[in-house]
Amino acid sequence: MRLLTHNYLQSTVKGTEKGYPLKIEATTIEYEESPFDAEFVRSLIPKIDYSTVLIGIQQISDKLEESNNIQGITIPDLPESIENEDLQEDLLKKLHTVLFDIHVVEGDLVCPDTGRRFNIKKGIPNMILHADEI
Amino acid sequence: MSRPELTGHASSFYNEKEARKYDSSSRMIGVQREITERAIELLRIPEGKPGFILDVGCGSGLSGKVLEEQGHIWVGCDVSRDMLDVANERIERKREGVINAARKKQNDDLDEEKMQDDDSDDDEDEEPCASTGDLLHHDMGSGLPFRPATFDGCISISALQWLCYSNAKGQIPKKRLTRFFSSLYQVLRRGARAVLQFYPETAEQAILISECAAKVGFAGGVVVDYPNSTKAKKHYLVLTFERAFKAPEGLSEGSLFGSGKRESVRVDRKANNKKGKVHKKKWGKTKDWIVNKKDVQRKKGKDVRPDSKYTGRKRGDRF
Repeated sequence: MRLLTHNYLQSTVKGTEKGYPLKIEATTIEYEESPFDAEFVRSLIPKIDYSTVLIGIQQISDKLEESNNIQGITIPDLPESIENEDLQEDLLKKLHTVLFDIHVVEGDLVCPDTGRRFNIKKGIPNMILHADEI
Repeated sequence: MSRPELTGHASSFYNEKEARKYDSSSRMIGVQREITERAIELLRIPEGKPGFILDVGCGSGLSGKVLEEQGHIWVGCDVSRDMLDVANERIERKREGVINAARKKQNDDLDEEKMQDDDSDDDEDEEPCASTGDLLHHDMGSGLPFRPATFDGCISISALQWLCYSNAKGQIPKKRLTRFFSSLYQVLRRGARAVLQFYPETAEQAILISECAAKVGFAGGVVVDYPNSTKAKKHYLVLTFERAFKAPEGLSEGSLFGSGKRESVRVDRKANNKKGKVHKKKWGKTKDWIVNKKDVQRKKGKDVRPDSKYTGRKRGDRF
């Protein structure tokens, strides 16, 4: 599960107030480089919830350092807000790395309102709801 | 061939064995690819503009692969874990392909040997690139777990009809369909489209699906490609937010741009022969031909059996 996908995931369990953003409790993280398209990242920026990106990074930061797949990749420093930021190429590149290249392979997503846990296995979050949650 | 939907829940039909069989069948890959390309064409995303696309019922990722080739980022959801595992393996192979290609490239620069293509994916370019898709294990009948206005488009290939069958206690198809469409309405960005290819078992099913979509506020219609061929016939439910939507013409044999017969939302064979003249099927006489002939006989004053649901019905083989 990429952080880009996590940015949009929401719990739709019946009775949940908001169900967003889901808290990431990761146990395994992987890094995989992907081709960088500056224009696409630039067009994504108004559509993502930037504060959720920062929160997501923070939640996986300790696991990120532990992961042996990373080989010395450090979490890029991201500014607190990108609203007034000049969108230079290197900032876009950092955003690209954070959104596309970091994968949560094992772990859980936890709803902030109800505490409902969604398990992530092999990079695939299980969002199947029980009959009473629909 | 019986419909898989009648055998039970999608996740039990698409078990591990079936999932592998599905994913390795070259016929299936070819058919799904064609359908996906057509669906993306109907999405009308501006050329060269990558979008964030939702693939409902993504299965083993055959349609996702086509989305990637066209440069889109996608999220797929499917109710069958086994299919998703196969999709994961495909992504993994791609990942290894990228790493191996990078390694080989390094060695090539040193050795100046000819570069060999990777074995795994058959129709890949010289430079394999990482997958841009993400997978979710989810049941579309319970809604879509995304924030509002997330996606630039949605496709679904051969999956929607599964919602028309109730597989568990308390599952009502109409309710699941409505739930799915209303959440689809929310997660799509305004101006986005959804193109959902499905296999309706009956005309009533196609109508039910269209009605549920219309009820939640979508405009749109069903585009039928190759309406005269049982094998090639494909139904695409195209949903938009534009009230003044005009459904594009379906494809038909012998013509690239459609023959001018626009199929409306109502999927009905009789729409073809308003004047009573019917194209003869290659292997026999159609029901409409029979009904017409009986009418002619009645007008002549002959004694003719009344028309019923048994008229022109296929009989079993006689010895």
